Amino acid sequence: MDNTIVVSTPPHVKSRRTTRGIMIDVCIALLPSVIAGCVFFGWQALMIILMSVFACVATEFVYFFIQNKGFSKKCADAKAVCLRFVKQFDFTSVVTGLLLALILPTTDKWYEVFYEVLIGGIFSIAVVKMFFGGTGKNIVNPAAAGRAFMFISFSITTYTAAKISALDFTSGVFSDATNLSWLLNSTGNPETKATVLDLFLGTGIAGCIGETCKAAILAGYVYLAVRGVIKWWQPLLFIAVFGFTAVFMSGFTYVKSGGYIFDMELFLPHVLSGGVLFGAIFMFTDYTTSPKGIYGQIFYYVIGAVLVAVLRYFTKLEVTSFVILLMNLVVPLIDKYFIRKPFGYKKAKKEGK
Amino acid sequence: MKAVKGKYYFGGIHPRGMKELSANAALDVLSVDEVAISTHQSAGKPAITVVKAGQSVKCGELIAQADGDISSNVFASISGTVKEIKDVDGEEHIFITSDKSDATKFLPPLTDPDADEIRQRIKDCGIVGLGGAGFPTAVKVSTDKPVDTLIVNGAECEPYLTCDYRLMIEKTEEIAKGARYIAKALGVKKIIIGIESNKPDAVRAFEAFEDIQPVILRKQYPAGGEKQIIYTTTGRRLGIKKLPADVGVIVQNVGTCFAVYEAIENGKPLIERALTVSGKAVKEPKNLWVKVGTPVRDIVEYCGGESLTPKKVVTGGPMTGNAVASYDVYTRKTTSGVLLLSEKEAAAEQPTPCINCGKCADVCPMHLMPMNTAFYSAAGDFESAEKYGNATSCIECGACEYVCPAKRPLIQAIRKTKAELKKNDNKPVEVHDVAGKTLEEIDGKPVEEAAPENLKPEKEENNG
Repeated sequence: MDNTIVVSTPPHVKSRRTTRGIMIDVCIALLPSVIAGCVFFGWQALMIILMSVFACVATEFVYFFIQNKGFSKKCADAKAVCLRFVKQFDFTSVVTGLLLALILPTTDKWYEVFYEVLIGGIFSIAVVKMFFGGTGKNIVNPAAAGRAFMFISFSITTYTAAKISALDFTSGVFSDATNLSWLLNSTGNPETKATVLDLFLGTGIAGCIGETCKAAILAGYVYLAVRGVIKWWQPLLFIAVFGFTAVFMSGFTYVKSGGYIFDMELFLPHVLSGGVLFGAIFMFTDYTTSPKGIYGQIFYYVIGAVLVAVLRYFTKLEVTSFVILLMNLVVPLIDKYFIRKPFGYKKAKKEGK
Repeated sequence: MKAVKGKYYFGGIHPRGMKELSANAALDVLSVDEVAISTHQSAGKPAITVVKAGQSVKCGELIAQADGDISSNVFASISGTVKEIKDVDGEEHIFITSDKSDATKFLPPLTDPDADEIRQRIKDCGIVGLGGAGFPTAVKVSTDKPVDTLIVNGAECEPYLTCDYRLMIEKTEEIAKGARYIAKALGVKKIIIGIESNKPDAVRAFEAFEDIQPVILRKQYPAGGEKQIIYTTTGRRLGIKKLPADVGVIVQNVGTCFAVYEAIENGKPLIERALTVSGKAVKEPKNLWVKVGTPVRDIVEYCGGESLTPKKVVTGGPMTGNAVASYDVYTRKTTSGVLLLSEKEAAAEQPTPCINCGKCADVCPMHLMPMNTAFYSAAGDFESAEKYGNATSCIECGACEYVCPAKRPLIQAIRKTKAELKKNDNKPVEVHDVAGKTLEEIDGKPVEEAAPENLKPEKEENNG
């Protein structure tokens, strides 16, 4: 093998960046959020993260094992199949596991919810990703879909059973109540509302494991942008559009209580509350489920941001992951309608006329 | 003239330059014992051989006559005897064995030629664009469209290659003169030379001339692509399927300018060119003057042989050149480099699934969507591949495949799409009658007569 000269079509040199490298970069960018989550919520948060990652990776492995006939011939090929799995493993399921865990609330008793996390992880990978063809073929973001699945499946029981239940999504948002509900309903005691600095650092705020500490999320953003994994303007565009729309929407409520209609002081609290920042940086920018062309991307982020702001105003709920799912489904259409015109296209058309 | 900065175009990549391997090696002359000159040295038809085996030829003697407008004359690059004429890889090659003499047979030098003389001389000397495509320069300079600018392409944006850079700093005066001759043949006053920003020496060298405007191009592969260099230096956008002359511009490579100078002042036809030998697997990377038809084996031996086992041997640049299977290939007029890429450098990974990252579309200098072309061509739907990916506008620069994190073979897919679309274009429309027979089977009768009885047009009934 060593002495063979390879013949192929050009180019003969390629960049060293691989899918695996990009996914490891995303994992590194998520590390600050993981650490912040562990600091704020203790080792229970770490357990949820580990379980989620384990569930995702194990599901991918089992799926791969069955698909590549690891069980045939009484597992004679099992070792070879395992080696092949390691060789092709591209860390996408680790990213999915981390994302899924970081948008879940935490609990005092992790063992009470561990099966919920496991089922969520299995659903994310098996149903959302592998059934559609594996890496790069999934239609919606696996982590967002997993969260939606868990929201529908488990929240009601846990919510009614115990008030401080862990996977209590409704309270996961409203445990943020001092802040988010104040913003959205202009109810509650204004004195208990969190300051912008608290929101930014995540101190004294309840919320999901990875979504509370905005400083850690921004550190991840800077890393991703510097490494060129995401385009630096994408989350900024999303956040700007979201912020202005949210401020505008909450203006309606404020006018009734004697406030300004366009109070820019609300911009930062809106942006820093809930999972918007996390969604904008880590979930909306997911390669597979976002448009490919630059114009399609602009459309996708603007519409997504407006939808999040509007729906959050009307539903008083944290809707980011649902909007992500909704926008993911529109992506194939966006890709079809936003085709870039080749260089010099306009000129040619003018001359033709 | 003082250098100005070129415009920015959207797209492009920043590959590892690797020019430091050979950038400081001055151009060196390589003499060979035997050459094999292909008669197919241009974008058009192969030239017609005019010599016979056993005939003795002098250096610079015509050995194959151009056949048609886009073809070019081919000359003996060494003096000696024609050993044999045979097919190598489907192309006719003329093998010449050297007699170790310097006997030359050049055309008489021209002093103060007019435009027609220059054009005729360029045609006689078989000069083609040395940038890579091999389009005959004579055709380019004989355009009847109004042209106001000559762009000399000194970008050399491909990684590894440094022969144009060496040429620009060693033969500055000659290139300037050659460019002036081309400008005279075209009747244009404005000469622009586009040089990539990683070659400040070359820019400084060309600032010395009053009539040449150096433009510093951003380091953005492919800065030297024809459409890209026209846009970055003049701001004109070249439309799809248009020639540079349509926007009043002619682009010539620096190597071509030097060849024009040689042809006019020395009467020397295009028999040798500057070439870069580089790559981590070659012992001494060098820049060489190489005769057309030199075996790659000789070139590699002259550069000290292999230092590592090469994974890929490439003739031309690493982004657009051809990978060859052995050293038994011969250089052409358009071969700008011989690269021995080690296993670390060469791209030979297995492709992984596309993750839709869109990086290929971001870097495409033609603003296409290569992933769509690849997706639809894999499914065999070449019309959609063209509709959503615009494959026919592709300049095959290789930027998309360079940047692809999944290592997908995008250029291969684009080439396949282009070939399939071309096939469909040329295919005559098949007319089938109702029985499923093609028209040819019906012995040339008109369709109406050949159609079965019950399906004949019912004109009479309608009228009645």
